[in-house]
Amino acid sequence: MGRIKYVIALILARLAIIVLKLIRRDASYFPGKIAVTICPDFLGRIGKPEIIIGVTGTNGKTTVCNMINDILIENGYDVINNRLGSNVNSGIATTFISGATITGKSKHKIAVLEIDERSAKKIYPYVKPNFLVCTNLFRDSMKRNAHTEFIYNILTENIPKETMLILNGDDLISANLAPENKRVYFGIDRLDTDTEESHNIVKDIICCPKCNTELKYDYYRYNHIGKAHCPNCEFGTPEIDYLATKLDFEEKKLIINEKGQVQEYKMISDNIINIYNMIAVVTVLREFGISSAILKNSFERMKIVETRFEEETINNIKIIMQLAKGQNPIACSRAFEYVSKIKGNKVVIILLDDLHDATNSSECIAWLYDTDYEFLNNDSIKQIIVGGVRCIDEKIRLELAGIEENKIYCSKDEIEAVKQIELEKIDSVCILYDLYSMKLKEKIKKQVENIIEGNENSNE
Amino acid sequence: MNKIKVEILFPEFCNLYGDIFNMKYLQKCLLDAEFINTSFQKIPRFVEEDITLIYMGPMTENMQEKVIDKLTPYTKKLKELINNGTIMLFTGNSMEILGEYIEKEDGSKITGLSIIPINAKRDMMNRFNCLFLGERKSYEIVGFKSQFTMCYGNNENNYFAKSKKGIGLNRNSKFEGYEENNFIGTYLLGPILILNPEFTKEILIKMGVQEPKLALEDDVIQAYKQRLGEFNSI
Repeated sequence: MGRIKYVIALILARLAIIVLKLIRRDASYFPGKIAVTICPDFLGRIGKPEIIIGVTGTNGKTTVCNMINDILIENGYDVINNRLGSNVNSGIATTFISGATITGKSKHKIAVLEIDERSAKKIYPYVKPNFLVCTNLFRDSMKRNAHTEFIYNILTENIPKETMLILNGDDLISANLAPENKRVYFGIDRLDTDTEESHNIVKDIICCPKCNTELKYDYYRYNHIGKAHCPNCEFGTPEIDYLATKLDFEEKKLIINEKGQVQEYKMISDNIINIYNMIAVVTVLREFGISSAILKNSFERMKIVETRFEEETINNIKIIMQLAKGQNPIACSRAFEYVSKIKGNKVVIILLDDLHDATNSSECIAWLYDTDYEFLNNDSIKQIIVGGVRCIDEKIRLELAGIEENKIYCSKDEIEAVKQIELEKIDSVCILYDLYSMKLKEKIKKQVENIIEGNENSNE
Repeated sequence: MNKIKVEILFPEFCNLYGDIFNMKYLQKCLLDAEFINTSFQKIPRFVEEDITLIYMGPMTENMQEKVIDKLTPYTKKLKELINNGTIMLFTGNSMEILGEYIEKEDGSKITGLSIIPINAKRDMMNRFNCLFLGERKSYEIVGFKSQFTMCYGNNENNYFAKSKKGIGLNRNSKFEGYEENNFIGTYLLGPILILNPEFTKEILIKMGVQEPKLALEDDVIQAYKQRLGEFNSI
């Protein structure tokens, strides 16, 4: 019976792919949804590549997957991925169907899969990655992911025993996932910018999970990322196998000690999150068997995809566009800290409303209060423009962060809000946007370009 | 008037979903008050001294068990304080600590402090989310719920707010939260004092402030009115 269900599911899913492609609709989720609905263990039955590299974690999954894919494809590996599709079980089923023969055998040697943490229970019983990267575990969407303990438990209970884990050793939550599994750690050595006191609202690991004693942090990098140990037992930051020992922001170079071998790579971004992402990629691909020389060459040509970060200069004013991810307090806090540290005077434009809720509901704003708006309380930020339905809520949050009211301009109409931009003595305009507001981001970018070029009025 | 003292219980743990800003905001409204952050390692200050308001925010499920263990020796004192009218605000799943028990999915039960007549049942793979609009006294309460548990018990005469939209203690209940004397427990999450200026004023009056003036009052009222409009139109 199971076999019959599987065959029907495969045929109907394939038909769905053909029809959706013919009518030019997204075929990355629905066919897989049909398949797993008809045959719940479809993922276990469909043919899969010999090697599966999975990437999970709160932040950085997509960037890490994109980098792994780019490097493997550039170097001639035969790869399928869910780059254009969903990272839940249906999306992964669609990926395998698309990469299989008519009888359901995989046509590819390697799969690189972005895997949603929350979907672990529906995926790992059937898909057993050879390597699983966990970028980090942080507080994320309250409605879906609740808190890190919940996600940690889901992952630990479901990650296959045979999977080799590639873990962020500077993150004491994800570093301890699935303790029985083989693992390799990546991390970054102490930086000049690390501090002995925490500067963030959210710290999701404070006490030792083994004996409950308060952890002693040697230094904090951000949130619970840093180096810590339990004064009462052996729990603490593990020894790092792939350790970035030097970050040269001027020369854009990154030195990584790879299990005793020192290698230099081009630093593809000066954002600490992307540096972690890059080290995660180096670690998994080195463990997979790719040489440092090949990786070095690939990183020389690599750029972070433009949906996440863009920069241009018009009339000596930089326009910086940084993905911040609304409802994700850590991603937003990182983006806020990043723009606050950009040299020169800045205007910050915030576009973080949840567009679905803005149209159909009323967004839960609890996440604003887990997010470090305090980073925007900085003398070099001369004006903060907030656009969208939730602008008054954000204004209150900014004021509670100690930012003077006269620096804040807000309007429900984003285009109108941007017209209030004041460019005198401004070196950069930083646009922080949500993953689902790409069209709006482009409109705002165009508006800012026009204002800088003098084609449209500003408040100057 | 005695100095206003606010004790925040275990803020290093009971701080999910931005709830800790309830107290940061209250502090902006009460510039002369003393705010005490009682860490988990310390004996709560309410045990030995008069506290005007005791606050506890939401926490992880694992932490709930530790907090129950921590507060068990002070059960009698907490009961006495509720009976004597001490103001308490417990948000999110922190109210469950004072209940009779929390039932896990396997049927096992974590015994609570049994101070208030409620119990909760967990369903970890089905998180419940909703907006909440409810009536309280002469004004309306707005907020958000996001929880793994449903709560049971008769609160028809002891509720925090009567639901117009969203659920009460559980899917079949219209009565949200639990109120007894000046104890208020509510599943509403996030910065409910920032979201609800009328409620914040009520709390301030309970605390002895004669003519309460809220921090950022104009903006907070504007946001409240906007949200009321949105919630009513959904």
